[in-house]
Amino acid sequence: MKEWLNELAAEFKLNFIDDDRWELIVEGLKNTIIITFFALLIGVAIGVVISLIRSTYDNNKEDYKRKGGVGYVIMSILNGICNIYLTIIRGTPVVVQLLIMYFVVFATSRNGLMVAIICFGINSGAYVAEIFRSGIMSIDKGQFEAGRSLGFNYIQTMIYIIIPQMFKVVLPTLCNEFIVLLKETSVAGYVGIRDLTKAGDLIRGRTFSAFMPLIAVALIYLVIVMILTWLLRRLERRLRKSER
Amino acid sequence: MNGETLLKVDNLKKYYADGAVKALDDVSSEIKRGEAVVVVGPSGSGKSTFLRCLNLLEMPTEGHIYFNGVDIMDKEADINIHRQKMGMVFQHFNLFPHMTVLNNMTLGPIKLLKMSKEEAEANAMKLLARVGLEDRANEYPSKLSGGQKQRVAIVRALCMNPEVMLFDEPTSALDPEMVGEVLDVMKELAREGMTMVVVTHEMGFAKEVASRVVFMDRGKIMEQGSPAEVFGNPRSERLKSFLAKVL
Repeated sequence: MKEWLNELAAEFKLNFIDDDRWELIVEGLKNTIIITFFALLIGVAIGVVISLIRSTYDNNKEDYKRKGGVGYVIMSILNGICNIYLTIIRGTPVVVQLLIMYFVVFATSRNGLMVAIICFGINSGAYVAEIFRSGIMSIDKGQFEAGRSLGFNYIQTMIYIIIPQMFKVVLPTLCNEFIVLLKETSVAGYVGIRDLTKAGDLIRGRTFSAFMPLIAVALIYLVIVMILTWLLRRLERRLRKSER
Repeated sequence: MNGETLLKVDNLKKYYADGAVKALDDVSSEIKRGEAVVVVGPSGSGKSTFLRCLNLLEMPTEGHIYFNGVDIMDKEADINIHRQKMGMVFQHFNLFPHMTVLNNMTLGPIKLLKMSKEEAEANAMKLLARVGLEDRANEYPSKLSGGQKQRVAIVRALCMNPEVMLFDEPTSALDPEMVGEVLDVMKELAREGMTMVVVTHEMGFAKEVASRVVFMDRGKIMEQGSPAEVFGNPRSERLKSFLAKVL
């Protein structure tokens, strides 16, 4: 037992203490969090816009057709663009998207972190948009009618009445998307970004000891996800209280 | 002001499935200021569709609706402005569950009528007191009973200071013991001279409050007149058989 503990301590020292290798992990964690956070912001922004365009089009198709004119054409085009975006993003692997972003779209940029943020943001936007849209659809039609009957226009009804309720409905799914995104950023190493996963892998390459750095990385992800899940539960409980 | 035409409906048609279903089949009517029009009829007769067409929650297939002399079905007409003047009460209340009772009532006045928060709240509290719910102002709708919810829904519409109130089966989703409290509020409104169009199955209410009863069947207005005429002296066979079932 004692021998085993000593061995473990030596391993730990080799992987994290020698040459200050723990700094790699800290740097990686920092990058992972930066990518996830800003990608989420971009994703939510894209998601709100796309879900609004799509549900507006779906809800008012008849109305637009009746009134005809420029409004109908613009909405049809916007809706079409959204559909293409959703199809492409959801139909291709995120690693491929990242490679294309890094080596094709932003080929001249060496700012890997920024490319990763944009790529994961655009990717997550497609999923967030569908989460929001299903949230909007789940709100009782009567809510919409009540808003419109007071004299609110479509956008005002969305902002004051539908979206606040929608957020409550989708919050668990949205947080889940956040967790998925955090874990998905682990492929950022493909284009040479030193995220948490890459950091663990770098240490493994230098010390030729796989167990310690990889388990450490896994544990860090796990702890972050557990903290997020815990925060989510508290938030959900507080939101529910306001209604009961 | 009383007696002048507030709402005029000309040859209104609402078809579904490319005309296979005629929910409204050439309906014309006129609603004058101060009138309490009660629309009755069997289910599927088009009475709810008729009501929902009045503020264009349903878009009629054909016809014209004039509100204060303005054709609101015109492409150029801003329906949102007109809807501010047409309060609506729904069968399922449709209170906003994420807002307190008070915020439900002040949202419209603050955002649409540009009232100050203080003014809107004072006005809302006055209306709440009238329906005996001033102590529930800061509750969320889920804490209220069905009857209370519907009373809040009525005063929420009244907060916008409407010229006409549309009621779409306001008591149909209520437990029987709560129907009375909602009808009482509506009776008071009618007595004060509010113009009302009410779709309901409450024949007692129709008899007591209506200045005119409209009987609809199969998308058409079959008969209309004072409660005494419609209930006391029905002419068509359909109205007779309808009344035999509901009275």
